[in-house]
Amino acid sequence: MNLKKEIRVSTLFVSIIVSIMTILLLPIFLDFNLTATSLGESLLKINEIETNSANSVTSVVTYFRGFDTLGEVTILFLSIFGIGLGLEGYRDKLNIFAYENRLLKTAVDVLFPLIILFGFYIIIHGHLSPGGGFQGGVIIASAFLLMFLAKGDEFSINHKIISLTEALSGAGFILIGILGVVLVDRFLGNFLPLGTIKELFSGGVIPLIYIFVGIKVSAEITALVEYFIRIKDVK
Amino acid sequence: MIGLIVLAIFITLIILAVLIIENDDLPHSVILFMGFGLASVILYFIFSAPDVALTEAVIGTGISGVVFLVTLLQIRSREIKR
Repeated sequence: MNLKKEIRVSTLFVSIIVSIMTILLLPIFLDFNLTATSLGESLLKINEIETNSANSVTSVVTYFRGFDTLGEVTILFLSIFGIGLGLEGYRDKLNIFAYENRLLKTAVDVLFPLIILFGFYIIIHGHLSPGGGFQGGVIIASAFLLMFLAKGDEFSINHKIISLTEALSGAGFILIGILGVVLVDRFLGNFLPLGTIKELFSGGVIPLIYIFVGIKVSAEITALVEYFIRIKDVK
Repeated sequence: MIGLIVLAIFITLIILAVLIIENDDLPHSVILFMGFGLASVILYFIFSAPDVALTEAVIGTGISGVVFLVTLLQIRSREIKR
């Protein structure tokens, strides 16, 4: 800590304003009497009737707030798009992480299908246990990351296939939403039978949405990691 | 008992945060950041938010730490060549 630094006038000004506003707003914060349990309890009641999903967090994320999930997926797509736009000119075949480690190379061949299987398990059981599309998708992408780290130039992904997968799964998500408009009353409405709770085929439209989200997220994160690993020297 | 664990994790988080900021060695700082993510995973799990814990474990500890390390190694290899 360097106490010799002079305090700037603007910093002093901002801190004075912030402290005055804090003092002014403090009564509002203290009187803020939100009954935090009411919304959760009503959501849990609706969850039993409408979605029949054992993991109520999932039904909030994909059913009650399904439009928000569409926005999050769009944000992720836009960020990966920006990274691709910025780094596309610097791509190269040279991979700086091509360690000649035979143990790692052999182990990765065994681990790669297992990690992908685990990722799909997390995606498909999103409405039954903790997890879901985002987490499972990133787990699948981490399997690809392991392949990049271990194999180097021997392993490469086709960017056309990745972008096609990503586009098709995004279109599938929106298609399910439009089917909800056509068959039921609203966007991302439930048009499938609900099934019995705590079984694999239950929850109506939620597993389908999470499968599409998972495939989309896995393709995007794989493309992100691939962009960051293969950057050419800038000279 | 569970309160003591939570208190210990909170103190660990504060110490790790200070160490991450004050560290001069950037890869060391990134690995401490991944440790910070791991400690917060335990905290989320104790506070009965397993979904958030899984997300933090996969994204906060896994992918973002690896992306930081990859970026640092790219910068370092470029500096060595110069």
